[in-house]
Amino acid sequence: MTVPLQAEALDISFKLIPAIMVFLMMASFLAIGYVFKVADTEGMWVAGRGIGNIENGMAIGANWMSAASYLGLAGLVALAGFYGLAFIVGWTTGYFVLLIFLAAQMRRFGKYTAPDFVGDRFNSPLARALAAFTTLLIAYVYSVGQARGMGLVGQYVFGLDIIPMIVVMMTITVGYLALSGMLGATKNMAVQYVILIVAFLAGVYAVGFTEGYSTILPQVEYGALFDELGRQFSAPFENGSYYIWVATAFSLIFGTCGLPHVLVRFYTVENERTARWSCVWGLFFILLLYWAAPAMAAFGVDLFEVVTGSSAYAAEGGMSGAEGDVIVVLAAQFANLPTWFVGLVAAGAMAAAIATTAGLFITASSAVAHDIYSELINPDATQRQQVLIGRATIVVIGALVTVTAFNPPALIGELVAYAFSLAGTVLFPMFFLGLWWENTNQKGALAGMTVGLLLWIGSIINSVLPNYVGFLGEAAGESGALVPLYAQYVPPIGAALVGTPLVFLVTIAVSLATPEPPLETKKMVRQCHSPEPMGQQQTAEDIVSNSGGDTPADD
Amino acid sequence: MKDNDTHGNADDSPVEMDGGTVTQAAQDHRNTDYLNREVNLLKPSTPFMRDHLRVVWTGFIIWAVIVFGPVTLTAIAPDAMTTRIPALGFPLHYFLVALGAPTGALLLSVWYARKRDALDEKYDIDPSRVDTGVEDDADGTGDATATDGGGQG
Repeated sequence: MTVPLQAEALDISFKLIPAIMVFLMMASFLAIGYVFKVADTEGMWVAGRGIGNIENGMAIGANWMSAASYLGLAGLVALAGFYGLAFIVGWTTGYFVLLIFLAAQMRRFGKYTAPDFVGDRFNSPLARALAAFTTLLIAYVYSVGQARGMGLVGQYVFGLDIIPMIVVMMTITVGYLALSGMLGATKNMAVQYVILIVAFLAGVYAVGFTEGYSTILPQVEYGALFDELGRQFSAPFENGSYYIWVATAFSLIFGTCGLPHVLVRFYTVENERTARWSCVWGLFFILLLYWAAPAMAAFGVDLFEVVTGSSAYAAEGGMSGAEGDVIVVLAAQFANLPTWFVGLVAAGAMAAAIATTAGLFITASSAVAHDIYSELINPDATQRQQVLIGRATIVVIGALVTVTAFNPPALIGELVAYAFSLAGTVLFPMFFLGLWWENTNQKGALAGMTVGLLLWIGSIINSVLPNYVGFLGEAAGESGALVPLYAQYVPPIGAALVGTPLVFLVTIAVSLATPEPPLETKKMVRQCHSPEPMGQQQTAEDIVSNSGGDTPADD
Repeated sequence: MKDNDTHGNADDSPVEMDGGTVTQAAQDHRNTDYLNREVNLLKPSTPFMRDHLRVVWTGFIIWAVIVFGPVTLTAIAPDAMTTRIPALGFPLHYFLVALGAPTGALLLSVWYARKRDALDEKYDIDPSRVDTGVEDDADGTGDATATDGGGQG
């Protein structure tokens, strides 16, 4: 069930102005990051203190929006109809769960990468390495979706065949990564957000306006199109059962709460109140795109029929997976908007994908070099060795991602969703139980994470690998899965619906059966929930180790 | 008149309360040693945690209904849920899921953040005033004002 690669309807040729726009956009990210570059750690803290609700909310939005939001979402809504809405719900409403259960507590804990949190909360280098391995897997799977998006949209701008295009785009990404590292350019995410959202919304408004679909509020006006769109666009459970719908939404929601690159945004804020309010603002800024994505999908599906003469859902000449994945760009092209304008929409998509991939690669390299290599394999690793290992990781993972993207097993949005179901299964329970039940202990965490990892890897081997590995494919036969029943209830895209509760149960059961964690650890958890304000630079650990027996309200 | 001066720090401005009294909740807060109270989601051990969890669970239940309610209803009663909304043109289920659920989550988030701020007020907590009861030398600056966030929340 691999997805067709070429988007036939897309105008594939080299276009100078859009190409320049892509490079200008990337250059502006670097330049702005360089200008706002912070001189030293002290400078960073001062700047950190200045980051308010709205700015941090935009940063959350920029961090969040990759090719999966920009391209994949509209593609799924266009192709999978009502099932595609599970992605809209899953990638937005999770922020409420994050807000009420984790945002402020994480801010107080003071450790943000998954390996750091897991390692410190459960006092275990092995748990830390497991979390790092999970992070690495997430980065890999997540990047495959980005690489596919870059390759497809890159075709519109640069006009190469898809395989050389993916190679070129991944090379640009690694170059961007190296440059931003060299310039010390911490990405200015608020600016990045503004560029991306303007490019996307400009596309929606322009298509809606020029084609007469909408005027001032395309987000609601596309409702009038439902008669023409064909029943596949909105009929419930055509492309996925109720179970798979709920499983997908569930995985995305709790994956949101387990993704380290989301939590890291609470690092720079002044206090927990800012953490909470910037989470609210972040959701609002994300919704600006998510309200409009289905409108773009509806316009695209309708235009597809007008331009190609056959229904988007027809068996012959219908919309292919690759066309669905670029529908945002395709709709702008079908609407006969000027090339530079379509180029703007395409450049936004590529910028989102490149920036996200660069971030994921950094995460992956630090997980390997720092959390796995120097924590577990070679504790005496020198700085130089760590840097080497980190670079090697980027090269290896870059190559793996590139090769996988040549022949992807699913649409962009679905690929990224695999990463979410992994995060929701393995990391979310560790964050949640670690923060909300002080008796969660090391053995419980190790058992829980192992079970979660095995369950997710099992679902990938069961229903994704048979497409690639000959003997697995033969064993799977017609159904495409080794164990059809497992594929039905634990699909890779919705593995968390079974996985998260299972990991909770295992972690709780093992924690109850083994000795409680040390008092220091418990106090650290209590400090995360205390309403007493704490300093910007303080972590829960500092407070606990400083306090001794002397606590603020002992009178 | 309750004793206002339970904080040891000299630089701590006196708490300004209407009429000079401290509410029961604020008094409870001061008498609570949070580092010695168990954290358990299902068994809140401090008055603050009890109040907070009431808000959290209320929000969570409403959230679950907004997010999974429409799709479940659509599975149970497809005909009723796919009727068109007059004027807008959307089938009801599509509208409730594509626009209703995300917007609902946003409104709930605003509601929660406001409720949580109100709790700070009730317990007389000022998030911009760092008062951990520890000497302010953790970062070696010795400058207390450098870590207190500047006094503006």
